[in-house]
Amino acid sequence: MLELSTKQQEKPAVKKRKWLDSEGRWGLLMVSPYLIHFLVFVVGTSVASLYFSFSDYDILNPPKWTGLDNYEKLFEDPLFYRSLWNTVYFTILYVPAKTFLALLLAVALNQKLKGLKFFRMVHFLPVISSWTVIAYVADAVFNQRIGFANAFLTKLGIAPQNWLIDEFWVIPVLVLIAIWKSVGYMMIIFLAGLQGISSDMYEAASIDGANAWQKFWRVTVPMISGTTFLVVILNTIYSFQNFEQIFVMTGGSTEAGSTGGANNASLVLMLFMFRQAFSFFKMGYASAIAWVLFLILLAITLIQFKLQKKWVHYD
Amino acid sequence: MKKRRFLSVLGLIGLTAALLISGCSSQSSTQQGDKVELYMGYSSDPPTKKKMEEIIAKFEQSHPHIKIKTMTAPYDDFYQKLTTQIAAGNAPDLWQSDGTKVFGYAQRGAILDITDYVTKEISKEELNGLEFNKDSDGKYWGVPQGIQVGALFYNKDLFDKAGVPYPTADWTWDDLKAASVKLTLDANGKNADDPAFDKKSVKQYGFAFFGSSRGAFNILKAYGGGVLDPTLTKSIINSPENKKAVEWMVDGMQRKLFPNPADLKAFQSNFKAFLSGAVAMQIDIYAATTSMNGAGLNYDVAPMPKGPDGKRFAPVIANSWVINKKAEEEKVKAAKEWITYWTTSDEAQKEWTAVGEAIPVKKSVANSEMFLNPATKPENKKVFLDTLEFAGTIDTNAVFTEWVKVFTDNLAELFMDKYGTDEFITKTDQGIQKVLDDFFKKQ
Repeated sequence: MLELSTKQQEKPAVKKRKWLDSEGRWGLLMVSPYLIHFLVFVVGTSVASLYFSFSDYDILNPPKWTGLDNYEKLFEDPLFYRSLWNTVYFTILYVPAKTFLALLLAVALNQKLKGLKFFRMVHFLPVISSWTVIAYVADAVFNQRIGFANAFLTKLGIAPQNWLIDEFWVIPVLVLIAIWKSVGYMMIIFLAGLQGISSDMYEAASIDGANAWQKFWRVTVPMISGTTFLVVILNTIYSFQNFEQIFVMTGGSTEAGSTGGANNASLVLMLFMFRQAFSFFKMGYASAIAWVLFLILLAITLIQFKLQKKWVHYD
Repeated sequence: MKKRRFLSVLGLIGLTAALLISGCSSQSSTQQGDKVELYMGYSSDPPTKKKMEEIIAKFEQSHPHIKIKTMTAPYDDFYQKLTTQIAAGNAPDLWQSDGTKVFGYAQRGAILDITDYVTKEISKEELNGLEFNKDSDGKYWGVPQGIQVGALFYNKDLFDKAGVPYPTADWTWDDLKAASVKLTLDANGKNADDPAFDKKSVKQYGFAFFGSSRGAFNILKAYGGGVLDPTLTKSIINSPENKKAVEWMVDGMQRKLFPNPADLKAFQSNFKAFLSGAVAMQIDIYAATTSMNGAGLNYDVAPMPKGPDGKRFAPVIANSWVINKKAEEEKVKAAKEWITYWTTSDEAQKEWTAVGEAIPVKKSVANSEMFLNPATKPENKKVFLDTLEFAGTIDTNAVFTEWVKVFTDNLAELFMDKYGTDEFITKTDQGIQKVLDDFFKKQ
């Protein structure tokens, strides 16, 4: 790390201007709190975890270098594929649905309505609630014994479901709850985007005879595509890193059928990683999972950046 | 001038950083005068923390040369913190370890082997549970701090209502199932014996079991089977005894006498089924009495039922004092003084018994009114002491949490009818053996 920073410092020294004149020194001093933080807590920990991922490390003893061992084991581990698929499945359901709903809500709440602030606040409320609270609210709906959902199904003559333990239902139900909790946040981002669209555009469209639907598709959607892109990226990252919800709602202990649900149907990558590191003393293996997760996320984000050229418009 | 000011600012920052860093690891300053500072860790909730502080104060009075500094947190946080502290080399010199975690830390080299001290200075005759921390090589890694032992808990009100006699010491697991039939009721109040019994609307179950110490492990053992061999490095899942026991469990689940994992999930927590009066019997350990008394349940305990050949098994967990392998000599000495005080002093034992969290380790206190107090539930506390005669550990080893996870996950699938008994046995046998080989073959 030291080497790295001196190298960085040497580079500008080749230039004519003395880089460490008094102004430069003061500048460096002023940014040093950030720089130190960055080097120790971002670069340092990342390099350390990369090293751990190539070693046998039980936290209690110093890591032993084992090369690609952890990665080989990982690619042979059926639970890794199971958790990877669960994560991907969660993302496929979560990202489009939440993005669309957030946009819809933002458009609805961008009108001049009575009690507008109240409606915006109501949608933002779950965002600031803790997952434990949300879990209790969700339980009132999806508890198989006393929840509304099953009471409703029974009234309709349909058999009640084991929502949060059934292999088929668990991910869709978790996605639904996750969307409900966080859609308000994305709605706010969309609202900011919507308010950046000049009313001239709509006026011009009206003069050209566009109806409301056309205005939405031809003006609103392209004009906020930059915001949509941001929302999609954020949602994807969030959904890959989802941990708290699943830990709280499908249990974190080793009790039967709790962590990750029955047949590990809700075991996602983050939970899988947490369990290896903090329950099983396998920090090396967990670090390998973290790096694979990072590479997957990086790849997805790069693909999204490439694709954005096709649909995102900046003025 | 400017340069000097720059340097002085830089110096100031350096000084602050140095102070911060040294502040983080300041407990290395060991002796103040002739006093030894003993760094002790324990997991706690508010009542146990208060009681522990009282006991520490008394200890410091009678041992003026020792000063105790503590690290404590709620259960999960405590072990996370402890693990990182061990990695950083600033862990407590002595800590109270969950019985299931002793071997996990010991076999990874974090705990001091105290065989010498235990054989010379701790009296087996006076102490409960000492043998449960001995490994298969005969080494001792800890000294019991409080004992947990399992028994059959039953809800007296539900038995009375169904007109079923209470469990006795002679019960076999089949007797338990026969009673469960009468105690399992559907929404119309019909029991499982009634031809009109509706399996889809069960409102009350006969018997619940889950997890490891409260679960199938005990039934396998009573049937003559088990999970690991005595060396704790080999799976013995694949046996006819286990198969018989598993079939017994599956039959109960299918008849809805026992709630399956999905049924239990509906109570939010597995423990709430019995606590809320929706289950008539449950295996649990002594620590559960606190929450049951808090819920105002009318309950008592009976010994664990016998298997078909009369074999009996109950789980025991000896939560223990363990010493850090890296602790300095004088601290190890102080830690031993604390352990001796804890296990021999009536004062400390009585104080700790009053919290009601564990069975006292000192036999004379456990056999006294202090523990057997007839005024508090369960009335039949002597069952716990008698159970110690046949109780055994739950195969705790270095990879305990990991094999238990395989075991309970597979059981959940079996109980949810994902596969049959034979597939369960093969899959679990291979899964557990893989976990064991992963750790022990590497050693």
